[in-house]
Amino acid sequence: MSWPLDLEGVGGLAIGLLAGVAFGFILERGGLGDPKKLTGLFYLEDFTMLKVMFAAIAVAAAGIGALSLLGVLDLSRIAVQPTYLWPQAVGGLILGVGFALGGY
Amino acid sequence: MTGRENMSPMRPYWSPYLAGVALGLTLLATYLLMGFGLGASGAFAQVAARLEGAVAPGRAHANPYLVGYLDAGRLWAQWIVVEMVGVIVGAVLGAWTAGRFAWRLEKGPRIGAGRRLLFAFIGGATVGFASRVAQGCTSGVALSGGAVLAPGAWAFLATFMAGGFVTAWIVRRAWR
Repeated sequence: MSWPLDLEGVGGLAIGLLAGVAFGFILERGGLGDPKKLTGLFYLEDFTMLKVMFAAIAVAAAGIGALSLLGVLDLSRIAVQPTYLWPQAVGGLILGVGFALGGY
Repeated sequence: MTGRENMSPMRPYWSPYLAGVALGLTLLATYLLMGFGLGASGAFAQVAARLEGAVAPGRAHANPYLVGYLDAGRLWAQWIVVEMVGVIVGAVLGAWTAGRFAWRLEKGPRIGAGRRLLFAFIGGATVGFASRVAQGCTSGVALSGGAVLAPGAWAFLATFMAGGFVTAWIVRRAWR
């Protein structure tokens, strides 16, 4: 079997639904359904968002790297977000403004 | 006023590190099965493009950016839309089974409900706009892009923090 599986059609959508349920459930149980916790980082009072996000990035990145080194996962078939430096830097800045205003 | 006092005891939140590991494994599984990661704002763009297509078809079809969404096919066949429905189901499930499911408005003690909702609306519109500028949000760009070490994801994260810290200082009354 070659990874990623690149599931399509109904199978892919079923995985989408399951991944979404897990995503929503974990975020809620981790406390990220609470806008006061989400904005807490910006008042240096609650670092939940940082801890969850960076732990997740570290685990996923390590897993992807390890499976690629083992020859299980074909990295060339993994979608990497294309970098548009200025749009992403400016978009991030504006998104941070909206996030602090609205609490998501 | 949170109403929490009158409710059955809530389960405490998970350790953020535990939640992070669980989220990382979910993200890893998504990359393994699908070849791409998790997202959020794309689902809103999918819905918004079709709304404009329904209300002002001529205008929507003349817009090259929106046409990309309109030509993508049925809304319910879009992976990110189905995923986002799952997110809502999962979040409700998480809150419900933890005894946290309730009708309330989270806010700082020094802001009225009307202003809090106005801020939420402006903030939501700002986030929506920004997510199109950056080709994604904290999920699609920062989280999923961060996990595959996309340079743009780290630029996004850095300026996201900058925008958040400065704005939070100005709207302190909304939250603290």
